Amino acid sequence: MKGRGLVKGKARAESLVSQKAFTFAHGVDPETGNVTDVRSDIKGSNVRGKVLFYPFGKGSTTASSWFLETVRLGNNPAAIVTEGVDLSAVIGSVMARLVYGKEVPVISGVARAEYSRVKSGTPVSIDADTGDVSAGP
Amino acid sequence: MFLDSNQEKLLRGEGGGAKQFAMEVVTKVGDAVGADALVPIKSAHVLAHYSSLHDAGVDVLERFAESGGKFAVPTSVDPASIDLKNWKSFGIPEEYARKQFRLCDAYAKLGGMGCWTCVQYQVCNFPKQGETVAWAESSAVVFANSVLGCRSNKITAGMDVSCAVLGVTPHFGMLLDENRTAGVVFKLGLKSLSDFDYRSIGFFIGRKAGSRVPVLSGLPASVTSDQVKHLGAGAAAAGPVTMIHLLGITPGSASVTDATGGESVEGIDIARSDLAEVEEDLNQTSETPDLVAFGVPHLSVNELGELANQLEGRRLKEGVKMYVYTSSQAYDLAGRTGITTAIERTGARVTHSTDAEISPLKALGFNVVMTNSAKLAEIVSSEGEIKIRYASQKAIIEEVTS
Repeated sequence: MKGRGLVKGKARAESLVSQKAFTFAHGVDPETGNVTDVRSDIKGSNVRGKVLFYPFGKGSTTASSWFLETVRLGNNPAAIVTEGVDLSAVIGSVMARLVYGKEVPVISGVARAEYSRVKSGTPVSIDADTGDVSAGP
Repeated sequence: MFLDSNQEKLLRGEGGGAKQFAMEVVTKVGDAVGADALVPIKSAHVLAHYSSLHDAGVDVLERFAESGGKFAVPTSVDPASIDLKNWKSFGIPEEYARKQFRLCDAYAKLGGMGCWTCVQYQVCNFPKQGETVAWAESSAVVFANSVLGCRSNKITAGMDVSCAVLGVTPHFGMLLDENRTAGVVFKLGLKSLSDFDYRSIGFFIGRKAGSRVPVLSGLPASVTSDQVKHLGAGAAAAGPVTMIHLLGITPGSASVTDATGGESVEGIDIARSDLAEVEEDLNQTSETPDLVAFGVPHLSVNELGELANQLEGRRLKEGVKMYVYTSSQAYDLAGRTGITTAIERTGARVTHSTDAEISPLKALGFNVVMTNSAKLAEIVSSEGEIKIRYASQKAIIEEVTS
């Protein structure tokens, strides 16, 4: 799979795959990394250390700060891959590097139909410098 | 995205740490959305409430303030998570208040206007028609685009302060003509609309429009700016709406053709049954509320006066609290004209500089909240911790007072 790297960096980690619009705002508990959004299809899963896939962002414009709080507490995903551009992910990731010196690469432009073939829990490698996303060992 | 030589310098850090930080954010956003350039803004509206920004948000705002940042344009701020004056009497823990005050201090150091409100356009931030602004707060963005005739995207936390410090914003989204063209027409044929109806109408539009810019035809000439405020807030809470072409109100949109550019688009009639469906949808329980919340978005002084009239001679029942949220400015006016005393005589409280959806309601022990705000209903119910009842101000007063 190939997308467009929005915030640079590389990651290799287990995937966590959502088919529905996603938000960190009131949707992920920063203290644990658990997905709490009652409308999410991955409610109850944990984003910590995962390559997180979702189609689009949604909801409050504070999502960037909720995301950044997971970074501050060490409960953030390793990388984020989306179909549409989610500015909360982009801004949260830029601030993560500037404020906490942590990299959370962000890639967009990977269609849901494509990434849906990846099952949650599969190891995934991503490279936001090239936009490459590949599943499997 | 194109950067001029001055912007390049700022990105290299030649304008100081705060501007470099801000440039990193806006250039990444600009590149992500395919913006061609950074364009000047006339005002900004930023977020600085602890409940959603968390400690990370405190770190960010303090970083801006401590690295020499100053707002380059007039900058207002959304409500805080506590009543900045009377927080103790609302039972807010000291530790929580201290975090909020760190955000307040950093915001003040950056040179922000001290008006903590989500209706800055009624209080302190007055751009004129045609100006580009960078506002956070979804309901205010709808008002800016739809009523004031300004251009604003819905600005995300972190980018808000970045735009304010630089006085520019990436040129994309609702700043471009082609994205402001309407893609769906809502037709209002209903007679005798109440204050409450406008909130449900907005919510219905937000649900149905999806990512299309809606037009609303059939608004009566008698509609007030406060009613439009609540209509827009409902729409923005229900979906990604950032503008509604309100025929007869929105500058440049006198007709459906003006709004759509002559394209043929889907038409949706708004029926009484649609509003009933919104009400049913937002109502989660029939339990007795422990809190009634009015003022999401903040009530104007006129709305406070109207509420005082409706409450005259009434007394709040045991076990129910009623909080009425407003801006500090409207609070001052209401205090001087006897409105606050009239409202509080019933046992209700008027509170300012904060708002219900960003205050720690659950931690304060509330389990069932009753409101006439579609926005509050949607936000609180999506969190799933507190149950919501959604009804008109009149119906609420009937139920919780005697």
